[in-house]
Amino acid sequence: MKRYSKILIALMAALCVWGCTPEFPIDEDGLLITDRAECFVSNFELLGTDFQTVRTKNAVIDTVAQTIQVDVFFGTDLRNVYPQFSLVTDAKLDPKIVGKVDFSDLTNPKTYTVVSGNRKVRKTYTVFITVQKP
Amino acid sequence: MQRSISYFSTLCLSLLLGLTACQIEENPTVTPLKKVGFQNDVIKRTLGPNVVGLDLEFAFAMALPSEEGKLVSAEVEASIGGASGTYLEHRSYYTNGSGDDIGVVVGQPSSSEGPITRVNFTADTSAATLRYYYKIPEAARGQQVSFKFISTSSTGEKITYEMGPYTIAKMDMKLDMTISDSKAAYLSIADMAVYTAEEAAQRPDKIDLVYLYRSIPNITFNHALVSPVAEAQYRPDVLIPSGLTNSTRISKVWNLRDFHLARLQFGIYIDDLDFEVLNLSEAPNYAINLRSEAGAWVETADGKYRAYVYINAVNNSAKTARISIKRYTLQ
Repeated sequence: MKRYSKILIALMAALCVWGCTPEFPIDEDGLLITDRAECFVSNFELLGTDFQTVRTKNAVIDTVAQTIQVDVFFGTDLRNVYPQFSLVTDAKLDPKIVGKVDFSDLTNPKTYTVVSGNRKVRKTYTVFITVQKP
Repeated sequence: MQRSISYFSTLCLSLLLGLTACQIEENPTVTPLKKVGFQNDVIKRTLGPNVVGLDLEFAFAMALPSEEGKLVSAEVEASIGGASGTYLEHRSYYTNGSGDDIGVVVGQPSSSEGPITRVNFTADTSAATLRYYYKIPEAARGQQVSFKFISTSSTGEKITYEMGPYTIAKMDMKLDMTISDSKAAYLSIADMAVYTAEEAAQRPDKIDLVYLYRSIPNITFNHALVSPVAEAQYRPDVLIPSGLTNSTRISKVWNLRDFHLARLQFGIYIDDLDFEVLNLSEAPNYAINLRSEAGAWVETADGKYRAYVYINAVNNSAKTARISIKRYTLQ
């Protein structure tokens, strides 16, 4: 009886270890590295300090040219805006957005790199901002 | 086998004990939280920061068994005497079936002597709930205020209930100033007032923001508050009297409808702490496209004041806005 119990416990422990083994490895940010190779931006938003959109219309995202064109309201304080990217499943952004970003230097547009779920494809998008003019 | 019997017996005994412990007592006794006899109780009815000029409202309840006498007087002693308008209701309120508060006169209108406000009962009653309104005085700004609620019965027995201390906010408040494009368009945070161009010219160092409304093709400008030295494109065709040189930092806010300023249903309050932690070092010196129920954090150029300007209403055709301000003095 005692022998059977020991075997049973050993089997359960092995099952637990097998069950907990990750199917996918984890990257330096604690995110799963998956099989997906897709790598693109699906949506872009830009919020002001009042957390309201500063866009005058939807951002135009060109996934081939890897550009994002955004038209913003006249008078937008571009030194203090919050960008928001929507990415394809499992992808991540580099650099990370951790708060307000200064987009005021329109001659040197900001760039963000999308990294695919398998972390093998990297595509750099450039954000071009146009301010409304009277 | 012997072990199984032992297990079975222990289980049965435990269950039996559990059932016995859960049996409801047939004659429960209720122990009153307080002594039986003359009692009183108080609740504070106002919420949010305590701002000078506003009321602190309390509901002051007192009762004693009718065989022990009746109520003779009720008084409230504040640690700092209330401003004019402080009073203790001489009506006792109850709530009827429709949810309305109905007042029944139980005494003479209250009288105040220094920090003490008193009502002498005229009705033969042994229970009452009176409202106490403490108008926060200027002397209490930044201080703590506490209250003693005292009831006296016909036998001479006095009972006391203490409330507080409550911290009185340092900030000021000014409601419903109408600001008008090209007329009373010059806002002074220091004075919490709006001035015309002529008046602004007489006190140029005190003018922090200029109001304007513009409807410009191809852009969304609308209502704006800009500092007198903002870029010209943000103050088109605005007359800036000479000497107005303040570059006031201003940051637009949405969905911050402070209850004191907006007087709407939203239970949001700006307190001293919000001004203390506010960081406008990166903010611009203009805010355009302001809407009704929006607001803006402001810091004056001399760093003396921080304020929240709330837009109560705007009128595009009249080119006016109604604003309310909370202001905190930093230095």
